[in-house]
Amino acid sequence: MKSISLYVDKGSWLNKMAPESKIIYIITAITVPALLGIRWAGMGFIVLSIILLLSGKVLKKTLPLLGVSGFVLVTVLIIQGLFWAGNITPLFRIGPAVFYKEGLNFALGILVNVINILLSFCVLILTTKPSDMIENFVRKGFSPRFGYVFISVFQIIPQMTETMNTITDAQRSRGMETEGKLWVRIKAFIPLISPVIMSSLINTKERALALEVRGFNSKNKKTFLNEQVKTSADIYIQIALLLGIAAALIWRITVWLG
Amino acid sequence: MSTIEVKNLHFSYVEGDEILKGLNFVIDSRSTAIIGQNGAGKTTFVKLLKGLLKPTEGEILLNGKGIKDMTVAAIAKHVGMVFQNPNDQIFKNQVLDEVMFGPLQIGMDKETAKIKALEALEIVGLAEEKHTNPYDLGLSRRKLAAIASILAMDTEVIIFDEPTIAQDYAGKERIKDIIRKLRNDGKTVITIIHDMNFVADVFERAIVFAQGHAILDDSTKMVFLQKEILEKSYLEQPDVMKLCYELGFKEGFLNVEEFIQGKMNKR
Repeated sequence: MKSISLYVDKGSWLNKMAPESKIIYIITAITVPALLGIRWAGMGFIVLSIILLLSGKVLKKTLPLLGVSGFVLVTVLIIQGLFWAGNITPLFRIGPAVFYKEGLNFALGILVNVINILLSFCVLILTTKPSDMIENFVRKGFSPRFGYVFISVFQIIPQMTETMNTITDAQRSRGMETEGKLWVRIKAFIPLISPVIMSSLINTKERALALEVRGFNSKNKKTFLNEQVKTSADIYIQIALLLGIAAALIWRITVWLG
Repeated sequence: MSTIEVKNLHFSYVEGDEILKGLNFVIDSRSTAIIGQNGAGKTTFVKLLKGLLKPTEGEILLNGKGIKDMTVAAIAKHVGMVFQNPNDQIFKNQVLDEVMFGPLQIGMDKETAKIKALEALEIVGLAEEKHTNPYDLGLSRRKLAAIASILAMDTEVIIFDEPTIAQDYAGKERIKDIIRKLRNDGKTVITIIHDMNFVADVFERAIVFAQGHAILDDSTKMVFLQKEILEKSYLEQPDVMKLCYELGFKEGFLNVEEFIQGKMNKR
């Protein structure tokens, strides 16, 4: 079954870190540059994220993600560079199009923010198994019911994709065309989608029964099958990151007051 | 009477990891069971036969004509396949409509389709249920409805993917009768299956798949006599054959009837 999670187990130190540390890292990487209001801070976190991803051996995996958002960012750069309301100083021209300094500068700010957020999320997503993350939340008091809902998404979607493929095969085997003109595709919709819905409903019912049989709703205190993902360094890293946020906050307040 | 020629058939999903490594055989009028451990390539083979997958090398000839350039829908006129799980295909809310869907898709007119569908329902014993919602039928009868929906298409070749799953004794007997009837009507019947007793009872020929090769291909009896080779490919003999072996009989019998008849004649 094909996984929809982007997680890859490379056995790196990032894989072994507690998910909470990585979440706090995301919060820090987003709030600190925002509080400081300096673009260099954002760039600093981008560099830090790249170093982290590199040491976690997952930098390559970020390329497709950057590729998709890169396209959007390039259009932002072009549009703001050409048309931003505060554009005064022309910087360079390509044919009839004149790019302005202020607009490009503004777009650069957006660029740094987006890439920073994207990469810091990559640090979490590419190195953390979704079920580990949710189990850690449940340990901290998150409802196990909702925890299950989140985890099951990662199982159910690939399962549905697989069912969908079998159903397509089954209907094509009965002589139904599924490819070609729009009308052919529209006609194919109901024979394809109804069995998916029906079997999903049946599966859901059976899943619910199977869970109940294994005491899903039991009021007893539950133990965990997997060992908690964390290292001894986690607590120090978390404290350091939180101190960083606090420092940035204090700096901002003193600037306001002063 | 149609023939299926399989010539040097290779297939791989990912390059370098071949599932089928050169199959060569001709499927003739005998009803044929393809057996083998999970992952031996049985399902892949029948998907190739249906045109759902395209071979990486080699070809399949249906009545002497390559199926490579035919669309799946075109192949469906000649080759029908009953999928393992009836829930993968059922979408109409009446058994009769469900069974008529295939025939209509392959270009039968409404009248003929209805006649064929009613015939098919008669064969599987669901004539009484033609207006029932398929999901109100139990799994085993729903599977019979799925079988009927392929029978109604009146194809020359019919493939059964694990027909005995979820069937009780009566259901299995019913499916045996269906297969025998199809065989007598001159249809080519192919199955992929794990139920060896069922194979011993109805199929005339067995092909054993192992690691992408057809390692045994003979009459059912000759195949099931090869205890060692079967064990190597993690298959077991039918029960009666096992019994004969344990009792030290030289000859093997496929099923109870054959056993009794064989022994009576000796006396």
